[in-house]
Amino acid sequence: MSFFPLVIVLLLMCTAGYWYGSKKALSGVRNNSTSKFITSRPHQFGIYVFIWGMIPPVLLGLIWVVMKLTAGNLDQGLVQQIENVVFPVAIMLGAGAGLYFSIGRISPDLRVRKTIETLVYGVLIIASTISILTTVGIVLSLMFETVQFFGKVPLSEFFFGLTWSPQTALRADQVGSSGAFGSIPLFLGTMLITFIAMCVAVPLGLMSAIYMTEYASDRFRAVVKPLLEILAGIPTVVYGFFAALTVGVFFRDAGDAVGIAVSSESALAAGVVMGMMIIPFVSSLSDDIIMAVPQSLRDGSYGLGATKSETVRKVILPAALPGIVGAVLLAVSRAIGETMIVVMAAGFAANLTANPLEAVTTVTVQIVGLLVGDQEFDSAKTLAAFALALVLFVVTLTLNVIALLVVRKYREKYD
Amino acid sequence: MQSLVEESAATEQQTEFNSVISAKRVNVFYGDTQALTNVDLEVPENQITSLIGPSGCGKSTFLRCLNRMNDTVDGCRVEGEILLDGVDIYGPGVDEVLLRARVGMVFQKPNPFPKSIYDNVAYGPRIHGLAANKDELDEMVLTSLEKAGLINEVQNRLHSTGTSLSGGQQQRLCIARALAVQPEIILMDEPCSALDPIATAKVEELIEELKENYSIIIVTHSMQQAARISQKTAFFHLGEVVEVGDTEKIFTSPSDERTQGYITGRFG
Repeated sequence: MSFFPLVIVLLLMCTAGYWYGSKKALSGVRNNSTSKFITSRPHQFGIYVFIWGMIPPVLLGLIWVVMKLTAGNLDQGLVQQIENVVFPVAIMLGAGAGLYFSIGRISPDLRVRKTIETLVYGVLIIASTISILTTVGIVLSLMFETVQFFGKVPLSEFFFGLTWSPQTALRADQVGSSGAFGSIPLFLGTMLITFIAMCVAVPLGLMSAIYMTEYASDRFRAVVKPLLEILAGIPTVVYGFFAALTVGVFFRDAGDAVGIAVSSESALAAGVVMGMMIIPFVSSLSDDIIMAVPQSLRDGSYGLGATKSETVRKVILPAALPGIVGAVLLAVSRAIGETMIVVMAAGFAANLTANPLEAVTTVTVQIVGLLVGDQEFDSAKTLAAFALALVLFVVTLTLNVIALLVVRKYREKYD
Repeated sequence: MQSLVEESAATEQQTEFNSVISAKRVNVFYGDTQALTNVDLEVPENQITSLIGPSGCGKSTFLRCLNRMNDTVDGCRVEGEILLDGVDIYGPGVDEVLLRARVGMVFQKPNPFPKSIYDNVAYGPRIHGLAANKDELDEMVLTSLEKAGLINEVQNRLHSTGTSLSGGQQQRLCIARALAVQPEIILMDEPCSALDPIATAKVEELIEELKENYSIIIVTHSMQQAARISQKTAFFHLGEVVEVGDTEKIFTSPSDERTQGYITGRFG
């Protein structure tokens, strides 16, 4: 018997056990007049039987796998025979025994609730730690590769070097391409584009949030707010070619018209489009934060004869400011991590410049560039990607932590 | 003025007074629901008028009509006339923002802004440009705090936040904040319901002092409070004014059976 039918039969058996166990627990109460109540819920008896049915097969399976792995050279024919005949029979018998034993033990006085609840508790803990453990795993792998990288390239060059040109020699006899790994142009480029994106996203997002919460009628809000949030669902690659093919070209032509040289792959185009992408993020977070400012503060302000705009400027925004700062920091860390728009619109040229009209590149773009294509995984070039990623990770993590602390502090004030 | 005299004569239980606000046949709707029906009420000058009645009877709604706070509620519609110094406050050409400067309001839950004590009180004078310079503003803030009986408790910490005060102090701060705008009338919406008995006593004492210079309308759930501090009482029931009159009269010999039932605790 092959694997999947076996599993299905097993699950069917155990489900039947679940059903029978619940029934038996209930009928036990009717026949047994000592108490009106059973110690555990009927379905918990069912789960109890189900688990007892699963334990022997799982153990048998594990033992078999371990045996196969440790035994070394086994006769293939024998293995085949065991897997086709002996193993399924053993599993069925094991499951049957488990079910029979547990059903036999069911009585209204059997205390399975504690056990089942502890089990559920354990499952919940595992579920919640999996993502944390994954993150830890990612960080560790980044760190190992980064340490290797710094074995080849000095720390000082990476953190303080002004040129980024990660072309290493493909063959040992090539000359003049030992590579330069100064990350400053990349981080400056990232900061430049992020700054431009924030200049677009923060005012627009914040003002739209203010309009939505304080001025718009309920009906308008019900229509427009979801529309605005749809913007957040556009794939970034779509924003990317919008930036590269429409906005970038527009800025270049506009620059030509007034006599300013604008590169067609400019930081400006990438930043502006990235800002557009982040607007819904900023506005929806700020919207929630402004909504959380108690109505009583608005009433207090109106009651003193303040106008709507005075109320917004002098009461609501100051009260919401910490939360808004948090929202902006979260938006910044999104902008820093954004890759696709920049790959398509800002290019790969690692220029050290603060001029938004020139092409720049960002950390994430370079990581893509370093890892795309056939690469040796121990060259300084590929390892550099891990070092960049680690630094980026630390930066965004720090921003997120600060943002969350700020937001939390703000929440406490009204509770 | 003619009609006023006639009305006073018609409702014999009231003593003579100058009315500062007179509401005539006021109807209020929230969407399709009618919250107030044909409310007539004269509010006397420099006295305390209390509005009592069971929950949902429309007394807060009526209070919020008097400074047009209901304008901020979606779907709220007010019909009828509310005259302040003879001018209908819902009439054309009346600016609700300026109206609210003349008719101050204190709310049920103390709601100081998350700013310093000083800035809370200075908020009104600043937006209305009442003070020509910093010294005048300081003066206004201190006078208002003094009138609200809070000065001794806060004069050393004017720049700590208003939310750091106790509940009763916060409510007196809100009263100081309203006084700083120099209103003629002060509306109070259950100002003591979130306060303990000691803080309540302080606020009540303050309200009684304030009636020298202001006309006060107070919504309250506490009949003892209404009896203690007010000169006029209006009993609201199911969106109508059942009975208006001198507080003493309302609480000793009400003419309507529903008033009798409410003040003796049979319902509400």
